[in-house]
Amino acid sequence: MTEPILAGGEPILAARTLSKEYGTASALVRAVDDVSLTVNQGESVAIVGPSGCGKSTLLYLLGGLERPTAGTLALDSQPIHDMPESRLARLRRHAVGFVFQAFHLVDELTALENIELPALLAGASPSAARERARDLLEQVDLSDRAAHLPSALSGGQRQRVAIARALANRPRVVLADEPTGNLDSAATTDVLRLFDQLRTAGQTLVVVTHDSRVAATADRLISMRDGAFVDETRLTGGSARSLTEITGLEA
Amino acid sequence: MGRILLIWRLVLGDIRRRPVQAAMLVLMIVTTTTTLTLGLALHKVTDSPFARTRAATRGPDVVAQIAPQSGAVARPATQFASLLRSGQVTAISGPYPFSIASLTAPGIDILAQAEGRDLAPAKLDQPALTEGSWVRPGGAVLESGFAASLGLKPGDAIHLNGHRFTVAGVAVSAAQCFYPVTKPGVIWLTRTDAERLAPRAQALGYVLNLKLAHPEAVEDFAFGPIGNAFFNQPSNEVVTSLQTWLDIRHEDFQVISVDEKGLLISSSLLALVALATIAVVVGARMTEQTRRVGLLKAVGATPWLVAAVVLAEHLLLALLAAVAGVAAGKLLAPLLTDPGAGLLGSPPAPPLPATAILIVVAVAVAVAVTATLVPAVRAARVSTIRALADPAHPPRRRPWLIALSARLPVPLLFGLRLLARRPRRAALTAASLTIAVAMLVAALSLQHRIDVHDQTNAGYLVGSGSVADRVSHLVYLLSGILVVLAGVTAMFTTWATAIDAQRPTALARALGATPRQVGVGLTAAQLIPGLIAACLGIPVGLGLYQAAGGHLHEASPPLLWLLALIPGTLIVVAALTAIPARLGATRSPAEVLRSD
Repeated sequence: MTEPILAGGEPILAARTLSKEYGTASALVRAVDDVSLTVNQGESVAIVGPSGCGKSTLLYLLGGLERPTAGTLALDSQPIHDMPESRLARLRRHAVGFVFQAFHLVDELTALENIELPALLAGASPSAARERARDLLEQVDLSDRAAHLPSALSGGQRQRVAIARALANRPRVVLADEPTGNLDSAATTDVLRLFDQLRTAGQTLVVVTHDSRVAATADRLISMRDGAFVDETRLTGGSARSLTEITGLEA
Repeated sequence: MGRILLIWRLVLGDIRRRPVQAAMLVLMIVTTTTTLTLGLALHKVTDSPFARTRAATRGPDVVAQIAPQSGAVARPATQFASLLRSGQVTAISGPYPFSIASLTAPGIDILAQAEGRDLAPAKLDQPALTEGSWVRPGGAVLESGFAASLGLKPGDAIHLNGHRFTVAGVAVSAAQCFYPVTKPGVIWLTRTDAERLAPRAQALGYVLNLKLAHPEAVEDFAFGPIGNAFFNQPSNEVVTSLQTWLDIRHEDFQVISVDEKGLLISSSLLALVALATIAVVVGARMTEQTRRVGLLKAVGATPWLVAAVVLAEHLLLALLAAVAGVAAGKLLAPLLTDPGAGLLGSPPAPPLPATAILIVVAVAVAVAVTATLVPAVRAARVSTIRALADPAHPPRRRPWLIALSARLPVPLLFGLRLLARRPRRAALTAASLTIAVAMLVAALSLQHRIDVHDQTNAGYLVGSGSVADRVSHLVYLLSGILVVLAGVTAMFTTWATAIDAQRPTALARALGATPRQVGVGLTAAQLIPGLIAACLGIPVGLGLYQAAGGHLHEASPPLLWLLALIPGTLIVVAALTAIPARLGATRSPAEVLRSD
């Protein structure tokens, strides 16, 4: 199935017949195969599927970290599939926040310094970047860990720092790649609660996961196999139900 | 046996996988060992050519000379008498008249010492012809170094004090050092021609060559009572001089000695730069190979085997490079050991003793082992699981640098933080660049002193054959090699930084840094040590020049020359690091972030 399901609000992401191939001839791998997708403002989309089905590649395509082999892609109403790299980088600063399975925190920076990094890269003043980082650290309930290095934080705490960092420049969309993939149950609950708060606050979210509990928190669930969308479900529960009820996890 | 075979296979496999890195390592060591070989090959190289020239020309043991004071007339029969009365003299030739004449030819205007000789061969100091024929009326013979420097050959026309002569021949002599060590250069004419050149009798000086009964005791003769009697002439009518055959040999040797000293200092500096580069390269290679080490251990390799593979690979490359360096040094040595055309014929290729070869090989091996030992031991000691997980070495945290960099533009923020992650690597780059800048400063100081010297001795020095020019060319050549090697170090450091920092680099890209900002940041991480090196290299270079026998108080190089080295260094570093920085900056962030 390739047709997008349109939700309310203006489109933040619009992909049309997107494909990504690696290799050539007999070694050709089609990681993403003719995918079309629209993600509207305030919408929360979960993309699920087995390992190697192309969901992470799709996420990197949507965030402009990879270039599609074919198809078109618009981010915040701007076509990015052939946008020059420098312009794309500047657009990414304010339009996209990334959350990675491996956290990807800078080892030698404290939690606070990691969070302020995107703002500094975007040209914010050091004081403004620091103030925003402190606010976000408070939002993720880690104010008392501001001066800790990543190595001194638990997995869940690291991912919460990573989520705070993704929000530093108030992005139009947060793209999360297996955000709970490296976490235990308790840490997963913490992260899910954060995502739930973001969704409630109207933050547009695209989450790639193979964890059904994470997927259950989204407004829309897309299943992927062999690079293509095979199923799409609009979840009616979403924010109307409690996180514990949706995920079956103890808070 | 099986283990050795395995090590051999692993070493070969790794060299094949990274041929460019292996080639660069070999190049670094070859350059160092070639320079070191040259330095060692020049040791006492003039002994043999001087001895042969002395034998072929029946070289005198002592050369006595008198030159009249203004207005006076030299009286050789009286003034040389004290030397001949001693009873130690077994043979003489001369006294030969000489005068200082102006030599002109197309493009040449220089002073020369025109010496009158007999047509028949002399018993002592009969210059040996290397070209043409001996003196004849109207025919001049030029000292070989002088002829080579002026570009004159038999058949060429010259004018001496306005009188026309034809160059009859070119000859060598052991009665004085070759030109340009002896200035002005010597021209032999017939006695009549030489006397004709002098505008008046007062302008004629005389040379007397002496053979002693005991040549080895020549210094007792020259500096004892006999010499003193000669120097202390009853009247002040003449200026006297005595030169012994030991003095002449020593002067000839000085030319090579300066080269030898310069080469030994430079090759030591080269070894230091090579050490820094090899340390960076090996360190970066090990960063890439951590997972391979884990795999080796996972399939049963012992820590010893892992360390042996790393050491064996670099030892093999070092040995290959040492052999190539010794061969290249032996081939190039004759180019440096020909001290002008002054000594008889072309000197034989200097014999390189086995100890010298051993020293060169030992230096190559020591450099390779020193640079490899720490990474090899680290690879041996890392746990299998940790190696398989391929973690980067925990980077250093410098809170004050992180706080400072937050106030800087993005490329500098990025560059400073990259620098702070690996301060030891930055220190290696700074050290090698400091050495290169210091060498350049020493070269500029020397060049400036030569320029000043040339201006004050314009009448005597000519062409490119002067010792000063020869030394300055050598210093420039070595400075050039050092600059290239230091540049290569900076390039490798950038490449190593790009590999080591690929995760933070990719992350910065994902967070919105442009490839240009990241690339400039990677270059900035080298420009900062480059700036430190340029500032440090200037005083170090001046100190090096002074320590090597220079005289800064006589002619210190212009401040502008020295200050120009700072932007010059930064431009060279920026240019050399641009390519690895760009490659590091444009790598797909998705590829890096996904692989973790």
